[in-house]
Amino acid sequence: MLYAVETDKLSKVYSSGLKAVDEISIKLENGEIFGFLGPNGAGKSTTIMILTTLLKPTSGKAFVAGFDVTTQAKNVRQNIGYVQQDSTVDEYLTGRENLELQARLNHIPKDVRTKRIDEILEIIELADRQNETAVTYSGGMRKRLDIGGGLLNMPKVLFLDEPTLGLDIQTRYKIWEYIKKIHDEFRMSIFLTTHYMEEADKLCNNISIIDNGKIKITGSPKELKSSLGNEIVIFEIDSETKLEGLVSEIRKTPTVKDVSTNGPVVTVFTTSGDQLTPQIFQQANNLEIKIETISLTKPTLDDVFLAHTGRELREDEGKYDRKKMRERLRRIRAS
Amino acid sequence: MTMLSDTYTIFWREMKRYKKSRSGILIRLIQPAIWIIVMGNTFASTRPLIQSVGFNGSYIEFMAPGVIMLTAIFTSIFGGVNTLWDRRYGFMNKALVSPVSRSSIALGKMLAISLISTLQSSLILGIALALGVHMSNLFMILPILLTVTVFSLGFSGISVIVAATSKSQETFWGLINFLGMPLFMLSPALFPLELLPSWLAFIARLNPVTYSVLLIRQMMTGTVQMLSVAIEMAVICGFVVVMVALASYVFTREVNKPF
Repeated sequence: MLYAVETDKLSKVYSSGLKAVDEISIKLENGEIFGFLGPNGAGKSTTIMILTTLLKPTSGKAFVAGFDVTTQAKNVRQNIGYVQQDSTVDEYLTGRENLELQARLNHIPKDVRTKRIDEILEIIELADRQNETAVTYSGGMRKRLDIGGGLLNMPKVLFLDEPTLGLDIQTRYKIWEYIKKIHDEFRMSIFLTTHYMEEADKLCNNISIIDNGKIKITGSPKELKSSLGNEIVIFEIDSETKLEGLVSEIRKTPTVKDVSTNGPVVTVFTTSGDQLTPQIFQQANNLEIKIETISLTKPTLDDVFLAHTGRELREDEGKYDRKKMRERLRRIRAS
Repeated sequence: MTMLSDTYTIFWREMKRYKKSRSGILIRLIQPAIWIIVMGNTFASTRPLIQSVGFNGSYIEFMAPGVIMLTAIFTSIFGGVNTLWDRRYGFMNKALVSPVSRSSIALGKMLAISLISTLQSSLILGIALALGVHMSNLFMILPILLTVTVFSLGFSGISVIVAATSKSQETFWGLINFLGMPLFMLSPALFPLELLPSWLAFIARLNPVTYSVLLIRQMMTGTVQMLSVAIEMAVICGFVVVMVALASYVFTREVNKPF
């Protein structure tokens, strides 16, 4: 098995004609955490449903843990853990019973079941609350239980679909710790989808950005960020009239990758901001331009994401958008 | 062998959920209890009519098997609704990405529904006995409940099929209500077949509920005739085999489509 997940020109066309996934080819190395990013409706959910054997692809190939998802679905299912976006914790059951159910679903032999569940409860720090019905659990505890359920069968590939969606900052940081901890402990490959660039930046070895069903770019967070230049200089000048001259001067510098303007505000992507900043002052001075403010920042994955998808993230508008999206998806699928 | 243990896993989960919903157990008994008390007394004066076709007992005694079947029909035909919740709230996907086979999921659900239906019916039987319904032999309780279990397994198949094919609660309830009441009414549950117009009696003879009612009535009154019992059991078993096969086929086909 060379790759934990490998797809070759994978496509999915719904009966409505919508091409949700368009010839994507991704490779996920064994043991890595791979981030799959994209705006709402980009094709993330469809891809994950194909990889977890819930949907059949229209064309192309996909292998998970070395098995073909269409012809060897049962083998795939034996080797994956899937933590869905929405909590699937059964509120009627206790935390322990939830894990017990998951263990039975995954054919974990009776003699190791109890021990395995005890171990997982320790890892997700729910041992002390294991015998309470899950209805009393907070959102973060439910998510931990969900993640614990995905780990029970010691999967080779763990799918985490937006693991921190709708959780508060403290819980989100805690969940990241768990993900790192389980990754260190079990050395499995993790396929993670997320809307949070920070999450991808913190956790992932490699990232693919998908939009309109196509992969836009793949690379490590560092590579993606430096593709935009290592640093960004943003400054504001007093008059827009001499802007053109200054911008063309700045463009001549070899370390400058790109310059964009928005009114009197100029954004310069560069590989060496420290040297560029005094130079800009000098050039502005020569053209008798006064610089009002100047700042030097590093590009974030947000910048990368926006550069490749050209859209703002709509996650923080909250539940409304998500609901609308699901309605849309459901209508598409129903037709 | 794995098929068996997978089926048990789903059955185990459904029974756990049933046990934790205690209020539901009692609420579901109210309606059949009202049937026995109100209908049983409303039609008490039809006793001579019923006796004219050879039933020696009060109307309540005549209709008690009917109400046991009413409980069985509705408990089992409503039972599949959680399939819709499971698909909506992710449990179904969780089960579908596990190595458990699709037909085990359908079968486990059906077995749980049929046991729940038996438990509910046994409570109604208890209420009937408390209201003074006479049984010739109390040992017949066991075969009566066994009949309910087998019958409910078949009926739960209808519920699972409707739930798997419906995309929404509205469709499910619409179809289930359309099916449930006529199946109950077109049987000798409340009135003897012999007194029905011949075309209605003919339709009732096509209804598996009819055979279960007749079988249970014979067991309760102790007037068991071997030939008719054999026919009734054969019809019920045939119905169950067809429904189990059909339900697991339809369920497997439907869950592979996007919800």
